[in-house]
Amino acid sequence: MGSFTQGLKVIALAGNPNVGKTTIFNALTGLRQHVGNWPGVTVEKKEGIMEYKGEEFLVVDLPGTYSLTAHAVDELVARNFILEGNADVIVDVVDASCLMRNLFLTMEILEMGVKNVVIALNKIDIAKKKGARFDIKKMEKVLGIPVIPTNAKSGQGLDELRRVIKAAAEGKIVGNPISPVYDEPIEREIEHVSKVLEGTPLVEKYNVRWLAIKLLTRDQEVIKLILRYLGQTKMDEILQHISEVEEYYKRSLDIVIANQKYEFIDKLMHQFVTHFGEVRETLSDQLDKILTHPVYGIISLLAVFYALFKFVFTLGTPIQEWLGGVFDALGSSIAPHIGDEMLRGLIVDGMIGGVGAVLSFFPLVFLLFIAMAILEDSGYMARAATVMERIMRKFGLPGKSFIPMVLAFGCNVPAVMATRTLDNERDRILTMLINPLVPCSARMVVITFLAGAFFSAHQALVAVGIYAISILLALLSALFLGKFLIKGEESPFVIELPDYLVPAWKSVIIHSWERSKEFLRKAGTVILAGAIAIWYLSNYPAPIGGGLSYAEKLGEAVEPFTKLMGLDWRAAVSLIFGIIAKENVIATYGIIYGVGESEVALATLMKNAMTPLQAFVLGLVTTLYLPCIATIGAIRAEGGNKWAAVAVIYNLALSSIVGILVYNIGLLLGL
Amino acid sequence: MKMGKLEETLRLIKEGVSNSKEIARRMDISVEEVEGIIKILESMGYIEKVEFGSPACESCPLKKICPGSCIHFKGEIYQLRKSNEYK
Repeated sequence: MGSFTQGLKVIALAGNPNVGKTTIFNALTGLRQHVGNWPGVTVEKKEGIMEYKGEEFLVVDLPGTYSLTAHAVDELVARNFILEGNADVIVDVVDASCLMRNLFLTMEILEMGVKNVVIALNKIDIAKKKGARFDIKKMEKVLGIPVIPTNAKSGQGLDELRRVIKAAAEGKIVGNPISPVYDEPIEREIEHVSKVLEGTPLVEKYNVRWLAIKLLTRDQEVIKLILRYLGQTKMDEILQHISEVEEYYKRSLDIVIANQKYEFIDKLMHQFVTHFGEVRETLSDQLDKILTHPVYGIISLLAVFYALFKFVFTLGTPIQEWLGGVFDALGSSIAPHIGDEMLRGLIVDGMIGGVGAVLSFFPLVFLLFIAMAILEDSGYMARAATVMERIMRKFGLPGKSFIPMVLAFGCNVPAVMATRTLDNERDRILTMLINPLVPCSARMVVITFLAGAFFSAHQALVAVGIYAISILLALLSALFLGKFLIKGEESPFVIELPDYLVPAWKSVIIHSWERSKEFLRKAGTVILAGAIAIWYLSNYPAPIGGGLSYAEKLGEAVEPFTKLMGLDWRAAVSLIFGIIAKENVIATYGIIYGVGESEVALATLMKNAMTPLQAFVLGLVTTLYLPCIATIGAIRAEGGNKWAAVAVIYNLALSSIVGILVYNIGLLLGL
Repeated sequence: MKMGKLEETLRLIKEGVSNSKEIARRMDISVEEVEGIIKILESMGYIEKVEFGSPACESCPLKKICPGSCIHFKGEIYQLRKSNEYK
């Protein structure tokens, strides 16, 4: 703000994030605001002018923080502003409905030796609804500072707040703030360090007790500051002393001091807050008892995903069949207008047939994403995360791996890239390697096609079965790779469960569209190119059927191996083209059988050539074998050549073993 | 040496108790209090918030077509930071 603010009394607003600080700031300053940055950092600085009884005050909105440590820039900004004595009055906006954590910051402010602190006890209405009752007079007496109950949204208490701010700024109200008291060994050390500091010029500018406490917590900013005045030898002496206290507590003093401060607040609060009424168990709590239970949670998870597939198939299959018919009609209507036989084959069988076979699955993909968005928006996904995390931990995976694993259901490429969020090298590589085993939406196309064609009565069950086997194999792979290939430590995590909500349809549709439009983009690029290549290889040097086409030769070269899992040369060629994009497995079959876009005809022809067991093995192998080229590229970019090679070899070996085992066990069982 | 609520929360997270409601139940305190403790521990650098996507994603060549950017996971996730784990 301009120079006219010079000479004005400064009021600083401090507080936790989301306590209504900005609402109070706006109410105090009206439209007379200025937004900029704090010097040297990109933390937003808001200033405004408050007018009260003909007098003007400069109000500065400090960044919202939970404490005043030196771990984050915004905390440092707030701390330094208070520490440098820039404010005449500090208004600490406290959320009455979450008093404990808010008073933690209050104690940090009071511990700095600041006298002119006023508490704006905001959201008092919400706290009362929760059954809390405040004895404000007692609270003021215990804390030694004025406390003004406010409801910033309705404006309640703001006039009183203005009055008290003015009085405090004019020195008419002087607080006598309480300060936390610690255990005897800590207090003794605070006294020891304080005595050393008393001989320095620091005393004139800072509260010595605060400096001593911060030194005990090994606050790097304070260590740097004191070093300038004490020198290295004296500092080493103090730090050695602190180490002895740490040795006594068997841990670092920052957590010991924070704990004791927390307990101190807990005791204080009992003097001025009473809670009436029992804490009732909500419907959300009751649901969580089942949905996050170690056993019922897993059963619920399987049931939810079964329902998800049932929803996708029941609603999607008729639309999918109709769309297949549309592509069929499109091919039939175009064919007579193309005279050149080769060009007709390329456009009708290759391009429309190949891409159409994949595009007809768009309704299923879109519905899958809708179902996923509903689960996310309702808050269920967070519950699923806690259930999965518990299982993943048992298999040596860090909780944080859950994020790339969830992303993988959409596409493995961003999922591999999301492993960047894992800072532990072992966790990152492990998650990256098992990620391609999670079925992406492309593989869902293959799974749904085969499940629909061969297991129409139990298609949802078969689809969930393939998903469950893949996830189980991913977990077992994590256990195996973690034990023998990549060793390291785990990194635990905790989730704050959101309340259950009815999803907003607009948001569900937007998110589902955002995700599924990638599927359309892929159909127009990678799958189209793949379809043209497959068509060429199937028709040159001679059309497929006589054993002379490149596709047949390629398939026959690999067939001796795929035969071990009951898959013929057609499956071999399909799997090879599936490496470009997994949807190509179906597109290839369409082109090989010359039925292209007619999904019903393709299903009939495939049923004549394969048993349900072979179809199940094909679905499983398609899910487990080599990652697509884009995923291999992502693993190479993120982990290097070595891990890309490991992913390729491991997935190939695993899918071969599983395919051979399932097929031969199936044969033995007479399937 | 007696453990306070902050350390007890850290211990439970380390033990694998992965949701705030379960921590609240085990410590016999409210979920709001656990969530408050989590925020304090975060500001002290003992745990860190897990962000979906990472700053590195901003420079990713696949950013435009990456569906990861629109993944919206309700609920906040915090991870124990090793550097500070009972230093």
